[in-house]
Amino acid sequence: MSVAAPLFAWIAAAVAAATVALHLLAWRRPPESPLPTARFAPERPIRMVSRAVRPADLALLALRVLIVLLVGVALAGPSFDARREGLGRVVIVDRSGSAGTGAEVAGAARAAYREGDALVVFDSAARQVASPNADSLGGAAAAGSRGSLSAALIAALRAATRLERERDSVEIVVVSPFASTELDAATSAIRATWRGRLRLARVTLTPNDTLSLGRPIVRGGEGDAVAVSLALSEPYSGGASVRVVRDAPTAADSAWARGGGAVVVWPGAPTAGWSSRSVPDTAFAVTAPAHVGATNENDGRPATVVARFERTVVPPAGRVIARWADGEPAATEVPLGTGCLRAVSVTTPAAGDLPLTPAFRHFARRMAGPCTAADRQPLASDSALAAALPSAAPPRDPLTVAAFAADVPRTKLTAWLLALALLLGFAEMWVRRGGSDATA
Amino acid sequence: MMPFDSDPKGTRETRGALLDAVRGVKWPSLRSAAAALPGAHHSRLRGAAPELSEYRVYRQGDDPKRIDWRLLARSDRAYIRLAEDRSVVPTLIVVDGTASMAFPPRTLAKWETACDLAIGLAAVAHTSRDPVGIVIVTGSGMRQLPPKTRRGIVGEIARALDAATPSGTAAISAALAAVRRRTRIAIVSDFLGDADDVRRRAGEVAAAGGEVHAVHVVSDEELDPPSRSVLAVDPEDPTIARPLVADARAAYLERFGEWRSQLAAAWRGEGLSYTLATVSEPTSRIVRRVASTALGAGRGAAMHARSEAR
Repeated sequence: MSVAAPLFAWIAAAVAAATVALHLLAWRRPPESPLPTARFAPERPIRMVSRAVRPADLALLALRVLIVLLVGVALAGPSFDARREGLGRVVIVDRSGSAGTGAEVAGAARAAYREGDALVVFDSAARQVASPNADSLGGAAAAGSRGSLSAALIAALRAATRLERERDSVEIVVVSPFASTELDAATSAIRATWRGRLRLARVTLTPNDTLSLGRPIVRGGEGDAVAVSLALSEPYSGGASVRVVRDAPTAADSAWARGGGAVVVWPGAPTAGWSSRSVPDTAFAVTAPAHVGATNENDGRPATVVARFERTVVPPAGRVIARWADGEPAATEVPLGTGCLRAVSVTTPAAGDLPLTPAFRHFARRMAGPCTAADRQPLASDSALAAALPSAAPPRDPLTVAAFAADVPRTKLTAWLLALALLLGFAEMWVRRGGSDATA
Repeated sequence: MMPFDSDPKGTRETRGALLDAVRGVKWPSLRSAAAALPGAHHSRLRGAAPELSEYRVYRQGDDPKRIDWRLLARSDRAYIRLAEDRSVVPTLIVVDGTASMAFPPRTLAKWETACDLAIGLAAVAHTSRDPVGIVIVTGSGMRQLPPKTRRGIVGEIARALDAATPSGTAAISAALAAVRRRTRIAIVSDFLGDADDVRRRAGEVAAAGGEVHAVHVVSDEELDPPSRSVLAVDPEDPTIARPLVADARAAYLERFGEWRSQLAAAWRGEGLSYTLATVSEPTSRIVRRVASTALGAGRGAAMHARSEAR
């Protein structure tokens, strides 16, 4: 047997003890004694409070104590449901883009997860994994989108409420690198509604040094400017996993991207599927901002090319990775499978030595960089994380307490106990009316 | 043991000791006696007693037999001899035998004190050769012994008191209704019954030439009730039941003290004698106080009578 709110049982015990104490202080008629001058004593009620050696009206006392205890136990929410002992966990696993490849997150989640725990995965949305097991964590590859811890907490709270009925205590474990973009204004408020403990398992992502050094594959014509520019660059990490397409992408390119490669569609001429500008114009500079968390010098500084560019097309929608001088997107990127598809609308002039300049070579290399490392989000500081997601439950306001009190599960046993208490209440009234006037 | 059962007078003097203690005590009358029988009290009559009091010029109507002829021969003036006569005063002692006097229930100290007072006063009066009688008023009736001067009357009074049992409720004033004029009355009571009627009737007796002494018997338990909480019930009126608890005790003491003061002032205001007698006080001392109160007032009355005679 277990109780959902033992506080009510303790309160009932205290009230019962007070009832016994009140019965010891009973109204009693003092002993009579003749006194010829009694008329000079002030007129008062004949009964007075006096301490009784034994509780007065044992039947009434028993009834009242029983009523109080029954009501207290009923409100405490007793349950005879079978319950597994021990600590239950709700493991929240980050699958957003900030989790990188997801390998580190999955490993940390496996360490926190035990059989019978609940599993919630999240990126921009969250869902509870039905019938989770250790293999569920193996497929927790990062989806590439921005994560939302608020959504994950809401899903976890639902799972924790269900798990509370089976476990003595429930803990929520969040496994994530905790990018700052995953926290929002609602995160701390949602955390405050959870009475239990919340443990943060911060995952440190290791740099992806498994990528081999190389140059990207450029599919273009003889003497292609981009190919020349990239050929002048040193081989770089992950360069071999990049395919630069100077013409229209093919199905093989898409498969390449889904397999984790980066397909850079950098057409030399307007391509189908791209929107043409209503009025072609000229731009005089294009820049790609520096990567946050870049692991090499080239990615750590912006790549800017100042030159005359003809703008005839608009790249497809996606995350902007390079902009023209007037702020319009010059290159975009969309995730595709575990890779990405990048579109660059910067046309190279047919004549001149622009592709040979260091600025353009740096820009070209930036455009031909691998996908994964480019999506790293800035991490939340420890202080911000502790403020938003404290491990211990913060004090709750009365409204929250009332809300949780209302959440105490009521069982049929509770109803029966309350009904019995009501019945005993009537019996108490009947006994009291039939009792003597020395009743408390 | 009942809450109010105590015996503060465990050293109560015996009746023999009481009679020894009051022997020789004089209880002069407050007023000049009008009886013809010779006694110890100043008489309103001036006669031919051997003790010369004074001379007075003969006036028409005086008895010529009272003219001092020798003085007439020496001074050629007619004087009559005046002598103070002394006579007896019938004394009636009224004892309250109602239930309120049977207190405390175990020792009956109030009743015993009232009986001893009655016997002591009777003995003092009888010593002065005054006729002494008693009226015992109880709830079961009134026992009366008319004033007598014969020997053994004090013993009869003592036996009558011993035979009586304080109980019930009765009107003390009824005992005063048939009292003869010019009688000295001593009322031994707690005055918790018809106190107003008794005082009014006593005033009438005094106005008719009588003399009334109020001896107010109060027990120590009434003056200072125990501090434990009890439900005090009036033995004469069970409907009066008041809780005497700690915080009510002060109010009780204040009310009771105020009532005693008013009672004493009312009696003395009508020229009547009032003496408060507590059961813890030796009875002989109370008797002396009653007698001395009368002595102080009696001297004044005698002087007043003599001035009237002149």
